[in-house]
Amino acid sequence: MRETGPIELPGLDCGLCGYKTCAELLERLPQKPDLIKRCIHLSEEAVLGQESTPKLAGAAQVPVECGACALRPSETLRMKGTQQWLDSLGREFDFYLEHFPEDPGPREIILPHNPMITREMKLRKGEILIGRPLGMSCGCPITHCGVVMEVDERTGVIVWCVTGPLGPRQLGYKDLGYYVAEGYEGLVRESRRELGIGMRYFFQPRMCMLQWRHSGLVNYMNRTKEGVQVRLEGLWIG
Amino acid sequence: MAKRIYLDHAATTPLDPRVRRAMEPFLAATFGNPSSLHREGREARHAVENARGEVARLLGAEPSEILFTGNGSEADNLALLGALGAANGGHVITSAIEHPAVLETCRHMERFGTEVTHLPANADGLVEPRSLVAAIRPTTRLVSVMAANNVTGVLQPVAELAQLAKEHGALFHTDAVQAFGKIPMEVGKIPVDLISVSAHKLHGPKGVGALYVRKGVEILPIVHGGGQERGLRSATENVAGIVGLGEACRLAGEEMSSEAARLVGLREQILNGVTSAIPNVYIIGHPYRRLPGHLCLGFAGQEGESITLLLALDEAGVAVSSGSACSASHADKPSYVLQAMGLDPIRARGSLRVTLGRFNTEEDVGRFLEILPRAAAKMRPVATHPAFSAGLKEGEGDERNGPD
Repeated sequence: MRETGPIELPGLDCGLCGYKTCAELLERLPQKPDLIKRCIHLSEEAVLGQESTPKLAGAAQVPVECGACALRPSETLRMKGTQQWLDSLGREFDFYLEHFPEDPGPREIILPHNPMITREMKLRKGEILIGRPLGMSCGCPITHCGVVMEVDERTGVIVWCVTGPLGPRQLGYKDLGYYVAEGYEGLVRESRRELGIGMRYFFQPRMCMLQWRHSGLVNYMNRTKEGVQVRLEGLWIG
Repeated sequence: MAKRIYLDHAATTPLDPRVRRAMEPFLAATFGNPSSLHREGREARHAVENARGEVARLLGAEPSEILFTGNGSEADNLALLGALGAANGGHVITSAIEHPAVLETCRHMERFGTEVTHLPANADGLVEPRSLVAAIRPTTRLVSVMAANNVTGVLQPVAELAQLAKEHGALFHTDAVQAFGKIPMEVGKIPVDLISVSAHKLHGPKGVGALYVRKGVEILPIVHGGGQERGLRSATENVAGIVGLGEACRLAGEEMSSEAARLVGLREQILNGVTSAIPNVYIIGHPYRRLPGHLCLGFAGQEGESITLLLALDEAGVAVSSGSACSASHADKPSYVLQAMGLDPIRARGSLRVTLGRFNTEEDVGRFLEILPRAAAKMRPVATHPAFSAGLKEGEGDERNGPD
């Protein structure tokens, strides 16, 4: 807020302060001096020129494109499609896990924290679910959406393919609550390390929204023309 | 069935019935090609030129400085590619928070040898003029910074940025698709050379946009053909759409200040209502330097659940937008805008965008404020400790790890 000198409103009558005219705003200023902050034409200089402006580490306070920060805007934008074997936190991984071309999204084997609800909710192939992974394996802070591929009513285990939220929005959905991600199945087209059953790897699910590396133990492999089909269990993020 | 509440006007706006009425003759009896010399053609030409006048009036420009395009993205492409083509390459400066219509065009130009610098945004979502000062070079041909951001609604300091570009001999383009018709933009007062606009963001039809090109600024066409629009955008004009854009501009100009004040009032009502009902909510972007009807909210400790909130709101009859999508198609795309503002990847996915428009009422806002807390209660917290959902702001995160 300007505390020295007379206040000169711009006279644009733009309405962006919440008052139709500058005169209306001026009328109210003696009672509520803080309203002056709402005039964007005046506050521009204060906002942009004063040290009181909230600052962003790694953005405006460092020279443009100085390389000092891990996530320069241009690098962030170039992340997609690169094979640099680093996740979004700069950690190395061994391979990307792709989903099977015939699947609508990454295939996961999951178990609701209350496995009984698989039966109680009468889950069927093709239904849309939402839920959040929680627990000792791949806990993730983001709610997932997906389509049911298989249901085991005896154990409560569900196989689903994670998809986007459009399905739930258009078709309706059931809320699974919390679940544990028990296994992933997918395709490895390129790897930095030789793959072997029984070995643990760091990998990057191609569709992971956070682009964080995961680790898992390969317990099934099948080499095909398209790549190596793998099943990973014992999953951890990081 | 209760009326749905549409609060996603940054995505698109409903057609104003007055705009539709203005367009109707050109979808029926008045169907001529504006390039034809007969009466049908002349009627269409007259309508196109009237609309050009309305667009120009809203910008304080000359009608001859307005080119009609197929949409805002095309206007952006024409501005960038056209200006660089005329300048025969060089260095371009844009910001990290631009719409993909600008960013992807810049990426395309990089493939052909143009050097591109992306200016950062600060925690308020503002591109600071001093970052432009640091980035500008003698070879800089064009600076492109949007007038208002489509995610946060934050208004950029276009006047200062344009002045800096001018002082350094570079052209200045602004993507004003979100801001046009909502805030004053007088080309006589700000030295902007190129402005992209779109009709469907101001209660006009989809499929039509325009590019303001300051008199004397040379650009090359990107669509070649019959030479319409001064040879800069060949193709038979979308007459009905252009008439709709013109009418939308006329209405926006007439109602701008009263409508802005009304929307700011509704916006503040939402903000006050939400912050009192949901303690962990926080506003993303500068609190005041924003479009009048635009709010971008985050829910501390529950950011990953915004899809749950979006779905619950949709079921309850409210249309809003979310940055969160656990989606195959969006999987590797946390909001680059929010990341550029310094939000971590989880927060960058967890925003809720609430954008008001001309036909929203106080009643809509009241109902939204009834529905939102109930819907928000369905969100599962990432963590149970209250510190995670205490509404901490960016930069205060260290406190979360402190003793109880």
